[in-house]
Amino acid sequence: MIDTLASEDDLARRAQAGNGQAFSELVRRHQRPVHRYLLRLLGSHDDAMELTQEAFIKAWQALPQWRPEAQFRTWLFRIANNSALDALRHRKLVEFVPLEDSFDAPSSEPSPEHQAQLTQEVRQLEANLKKLAPEHRQILLLREVEEMSYEEIASVLSLNEGTVKSRLARARTALIEIRARSQS
Amino acid sequence: MSAVEKCPRTEAISALVDDALAEPARAALDAHVAGCPICAPVLTEFRQLRTTFAALPDVGPKVDFAFLVDRRIAAAGVPKPKSKPQRWRWWQLAPATLGGAVSLSLGAYLGGALVLGSQATAQPAALQMAAFTATPPGALCPALQTCNSMGH
Repeated sequence: MIDTLASEDDLARRAQAGNGQAFSELVRRHQRPVHRYLLRLLGSHDDAMELTQEAFIKAWQALPQWRPEAQFRTWLFRIANNSALDALRHRKLVEFVPLEDSFDAPSSEPSPEHQAQLTQEVRQLEANLKKLAPEHRQILLLREVEEMSYEEIASVLSLNEGTVKSRLARARTALIEIRARSQS
Repeated sequence: MSAVEKCPRTEAISALVDDALAEPARAALDAHVAGCPICAPVLTEFRQLRTTFAALPDVGPKVDFAFLVDRRIAAAGVPKPKSKPQRWRWWQLAPATLGGAVSLSLGAYLGGALVLGSQATAQPAALQMAAFTATPPGALCPALQTCNSMGH
């Protein structure tokens, strides 16, 4: 029986020793962010489904290499990110599909005018994200959606923190320029 | 050219938006941006971008990946992860090496002390044996030449 309150490190250590239940608990804890990240990065529901599973299977196989000094979350995201980059390279997955079918209104309750404006901006952002270079898209998603620190992003993307800082600025600038061009 | 393209401080403003700028750089940039017609719109744009990202819908999966992954691992016969046999590293041998060195030094020291001690005790014994020599004690030499010939 797996304790759902067990710490991540504890679960990872037990999974590393071959405990399948501990690994299943880790999958349940991380499936939502990993799937969300891959869906936003690849823009395809089918590919996100496939690559999320692939990322977890690769993580299971690579568990002997995991060390407690590394955060399990960033270690897992690195595996998922590498899988996504391979897919982008090999399958040329650059087309986003609209995400309207899963669209939910934001939880806060702004005025109807503000809500309409925000909805419009969100749709525009989703459309503009697909025009962004993959390395800009991935760093923005890790920062803005997954809310990772510079240190965590550096670990996922195997960069130093200075590069994370400059690449984030370039990604934001590129996204704003895409928006300006689409509006003009 | 847009304000973002003209602004020479986009990297610092981006870090400011992320709350990743340490003092006093943060306070200095805040003060600059407040009065700069190029940097101020960039900060507004970056903050607006954050707000829009925060409003993105959460696209959660509608399946349990734990079940799917477990099934695929079982079907494909993916072996359980096996920890590699632990490799010896030099620093793991340090305590044993240190202990061994201390033991050897202690052994050498005690052995040396024992040898020296036996030499120290041997001297009084030799002196005691001198009582049984032909020369009488108390410097009562019958003749000085006799004593000298015996090494006294």
